[in-house]
Amino acid sequence: MTDPLYQVSDLTRVFGRGGRVRALDGVSLQVEAGQRLGIVGESGSGKSTLIRLMAALDRPTSGSIRFEGREITGLAERDLGFLRASVQPVFQDPRSSLNPRMTVGSIVTEPLRSRHLRRSLERVDPRRRLSEVLAAVDLPPEAARGYPHEFSGGQRQRIAIARALAPDPRVLIADEPVSALDVSVRAQVLNLLADLVTARGLTLIFVSHDLTVVRHLCDSVVVLRNGRIEEQGGTEEVFARPKADYTRALIAAVPGIRL
Amino acid sequence: MTLLEVEGLTVSFGRSRRVAVKQASFTLDKGQRLGIIGESGSGKTVTALALMGLLPETAQVSGSIRLAGRELVGLGDAAHAGLRGDLLSMVFQEPMTALDPTMRVGRQVAEVLRLHAPNRAGGARRAVIEMLGRVGLNDAERIADSYPHQLSGGQRQRCLLAMALINSPDLVICDEPTTALDVTVQARVLKLLDEVLTAEGAACLFISHDLAVVSQVCSDVLVMLDGRIVEAAPVAKLFTSPEHPYTRGLVATARMDQIPPGQHLPTVEDFYPRAEAQ
Repeated sequence: MTDPLYQVSDLTRVFGRGGRVRALDGVSLQVEAGQRLGIVGESGSGKSTLIRLMAALDRPTSGSIRFEGREITGLAERDLGFLRASVQPVFQDPRSSLNPRMTVGSIVTEPLRSRHLRRSLERVDPRRRLSEVLAAVDLPPEAARGYPHEFSGGQRQRIAIARALAPDPRVLIADEPVSALDVSVRAQVLNLLADLVTARGLTLIFVSHDLTVVRHLCDSVVVLRNGRIEEQGGTEEVFARPKADYTRALIAAVPGIRL
Repeated sequence: MTLLEVEGLTVSFGRSRRVAVKQASFTLDKGQRLGIIGESGSGKTVTALALMGLLPETAQVSGSIRLAGRELVGLGDAAHAGLRGDLLSMVFQEPMTALDPTMRVGRQVAEVLRLHAPNRAGGARRAVIEMLGRVGLNDAERIADSYPHQLSGGQRQRCLLAMALINSPDLVICDEPTTALDVTVQARVLKLLDEVLTAEGAACLFISHDLAVVSQVCSDVLVMLDGRIVEAAPVAKLFTSPEHPYTRGLVATARMDQIPPGQHLPTVEDFYPRAEAQ
């Protein structure tokens, strides 16, 4: 048996003095290579805290996270290069996650210039990589010279995805990547994500409060509530036969077409 | 009976006269609920702001907006302010920015009452508590004494709704009122909106980019694209036989639940290709 890609055990994150807020409370889960895991729950359920810990953007209060068998909690930033190259985040709002004063070209190639990342990356030609990832997200090569404000919301999210792809990662962690987008643009970005994950054999960790989106994109799902796992399993299984009342309530809340 | 009559409404901005709304015409009956759907930049919010008289000074408005027999285009700011919160009111998208963070919400709701119904202001506190109860806030006393940051997103949006409804307006304009909320909270707020609008008998103009959400509240829909109304129809007809290719695209994307997982989702561009959208 090979190690799972991610092994999260008894993860707890407490905020505030005296541990007033238990954002995550004893969460354990595994992610296998090539899996598409959806993480769902309401605001405050701990979804974002969990993925921030998995991307090593925050440190847990207790518990362990092993990536490819290596413990990542407690590692200094300079030792995290292997994780930074392999795991790339895509955030919710491309208006705030893209620097408005940088050109698209320098935004997308920025991960390649990182000191910590460079050591674990093969020598790559940034210019070639830039045109390659722009093509992968269906943006024209001229887009590299533009600034984020010149693009629509959907195009900006493509830029954010292109940046995430630049270091040729194995895992994409997406935090509500389509929630800030119009319904009409959402489908394009979801199709793009699905195609990229398939074509590049990526592992996808996808956070959303929208169960329809998760059902479409993910093969397995974790339902979080108040920092604990309420239910987990295969997406179809969970949707067809939800065990927890909370999961049922979440599914019922999805707005349907009422005629 | 016709409550609102919009005729050839055109709004442009700045010296370059960039047109945001072109020749929009529609009517709204008393108690009717009309959805306006379209993507960002299609002109739906500008239309709403024109009705509310909240457009910036750089905006040039032409055409006609008649609300209960009164012409609103060209109406002075002071006269318009007298109508806002009284005859027509608005629920905004982001309750955290629409509420004053330094003021208890009870006072903010009471302010609307004091401005428009000074004779009722004596019993303002009681009226506010009652209104907060009507929008489904059980602990109305405590909520009234809270500051916005002490409330959840759903509670804040209910407070805004209470503010919009307290003077029994004829028309409530909702601009993406649930976009900033979680699905579970959204479902509750939409149900509540449906109930209170029925109870108050108010007409509603409901702006959204999400057809599923619009279908929960409205009986009729306008589809806006690049500042123009490209289609107007009852909700059921829009779903069964959309005419404009853009509308067909919208309907297809709204039906994500009917696409088998893993298959490609239909996009608006499959139906209505545009040069700009790549």
